[in-house]
Amino acid sequence: MNKIMYLEFERCIGCRACQAACRECGDHDAKERNYVEYVDFTESRQTFPMLCMQCKDPACARVCPANAIQITEEGVVLSAMEEKCIGCRNCTFGCPFGIPKFDFEKNKMYKCDMCYDRTRDDIPPMCASVCPSEAIRFIDFDEMQQLRRRRTQMNLVEGKKPQEGNKWDYVPEFFGVYTDSQ
Amino acid sequence: MFKLEKSFYSKTSMYSFFAIVILFFLMWVSTSQFLHIDMALLGYMIGTGVFAIGLVIRFSFWIYRAATNKVATRSVKNLFTKERMKRNAKSITKTLIDNILLQKFIFKRGLYRGIQHIMISWGCIISFAFTFGLTFGWFRFDLVDPETYQMVAFNIPLITMAAHGWLAEIFYNMLNIGAVMVLIGVSMALFRRIRDYDVKVTQRFEFDLLPLYILLAVTGTGLALTVSYKFLDGWMHPHISLVHQITVVVMLMYFPFGKLFHVPIRPLATAVPMSYQETLKVDTKTCKSCAQPYSNDDQIADVQAILKQQSFDLQLADGTYLSDYCPACRRRMRALKQMNLEAPKGNPYGPVNTNNGIHISGFGKKRTDDFYGIEEDVKKDLGEEKEYEPVSR
Ligand code: HEM
Ligand code: SF4
Ligand code: SF4
Repeated sequence: MNKIMYLEFERCIGCRACQAACRECGDHDAKERNYVEYVDFTESRQTFPMLCMQCKDPACARVCPANAIQITEEGVVLSAMEEKCIGCRNCTFGCPFGIPKFDFEKNKMYKCDMCYDRTRDDIPPMCASVCPSEAIRFIDFDEMQQLRRRRTQMNLVEGKKPQEGNKWDYVPEFFGVYTDSQ
Repeated sequence: MFKLEKSFYSKTSMYSFFAIVILFFLMWVSTSQFLHIDMALLGYMIGTGVFAIGLVIRFSFWIYRAATNKVATRSVKNLFTKERMKRNAKSITKTLIDNILLQKFIFKRGLYRGIQHIMISWGCIISFAFTFGLTFGWFRFDLVDPETYQMVAFNIPLITMAAHGWLAEIFYNMLNIGAVMVLIGVSMALFRRIRDYDVKVTQRFEFDLLPLYILLAVTGTGLALTVSYKFLDGWMHPHISLVHQITVVVMLMYFPFGKLFHVPIRPLATAVPMSYQETLKVDTKTCKSCAQPYSNDDQIADVQAILKQQSFDLQLADGTYLSDYCPACRRRMRALKQMNLEAPKGNPYGPVNTNNGIHISGFGKKRTDDFYGIEEDVKKDLGEEKEYEPVSR
């Protein structure tokens, strides 16, 4: 897998198609693992989608006392292993981004696995393949770089020019979730 | 203890050494100073040795993990706290019955999976208990009179039963009952792994299928032994016995290193009701941002300690940690930060600051202006936007 999940939060129109698609994915047990939430409901209806970052050194796995969170060779951080998870929810509280969900009935954690059965074969994950506004995209590294450059250019409108000293302020931070295993 | 530890390569090797010494001593006692070693059972001896060392090594490594250690330490500390006695007793009984004996949560995952696992686990436990119990003499059956047997456990006489009654029949066939249970469970598991697409997504041969094949081989050959002496006048009995021994040895050697290692670590599940839920299923710690309860203080303290121990820098500029916020607020903070919505609207004609600081290692750090070598006049321009408190909190 050498593709990148690229998120542009402001493109989200709040249709929740990604969540419906997520429920349909293999091994997702008809439960969505991604989030669509309001930025600030008192101000606007703007929503944003949220997925797992598939961290290189995942905090969730590091705080799991049962060692139940595995990372695949492609770098995807999987849901808790069925037989190990003791249901403590440390992962939910340890994750910097509040991603892992917990099923109290079945006593196990489940989280975004980038639709492992699809992405391991380079098929886009469910959410990215249904998103109508391209808030979630599954793209090549080069395309991601291009998109980032375009975002920088957007900031140059209206004569706001970067200078030698502050040009770094115009470089957008990277968006997107990506795993790489070149 | 510390001094002793120094004479070994590592703590783990020290524990392994003691495990072997104890095993050796037990053998010395039970074989009357190594006079009565049954060479036919040599395989079991070696298998048990590897099993013991493997278990000690895996268990040590597991308990040294920062997370496991923290959670286990807190549970042990709570276990011996007087005020918590009632709660501890309740937690342990509840976990033992619901989680380990009845395995209710697996039934919630599906009736099929529940039955499958009850069959595997209880079949294995019954078989193991019976084998070890009889070979080590923990319990035995005495003939009281020609028609009655008495069960004696640890030299305490228990129930008596008619020699040909149904109860006695059950006890004679205990190993077979266990084996049949495992056979049913393992077949169900294999069938599910062949039929069900969902389990195949993350399935790995050596982790998910190998243990099932090993258990199948053990029970298959074990049952073949019964069939051989009951119905076939002991046909091929020594050969089957040898094959059975090999399968058991393979299982013993595999046990600490694969999926079956979940059995000794499951008791950690008591830590959840014992340490992490002040009142069952009620949260007491509130989120720093939205003030909604989302967890409890002890658990968050543990999570923060574990992360700190492993050098995760998730502290924010204002001294709070990300884990002080509820998951929903944390997600919002990430989105706001990436869209750079936290900065107040500054000079509309100045440069737009698209730098939200996410690239910087650690959440608590700020990028200093020196890093960019910004000139004075530009700095003044940016100044209006630089000094801000994030608005998400
Ligand atoms: C008594 C305490 C035990 C607990 C709480 C426990 C817990 C679990 C859980 C939660 C699973 C996942 C099942 C699923 O979600 O479908 C599992 C799977 C499994 N357990 Fe246990 N287990 C226990 C004892 C045992 C024992 C004694 C054995 C046999 C040596 C065993 C062998 C297995 C096997 C082979 C699987 C995999 C089944 C599959 O392929 O899906 N377990 N266990
Ligand atoms: S759940 Fe959180 S910590 Fe774990 S990989 Fe995903 S973003 Fe990282
Ligand atoms: S809930 Fe399960 S996966 Fe999460 S930390 Fe606890 S044991 Fe690990």
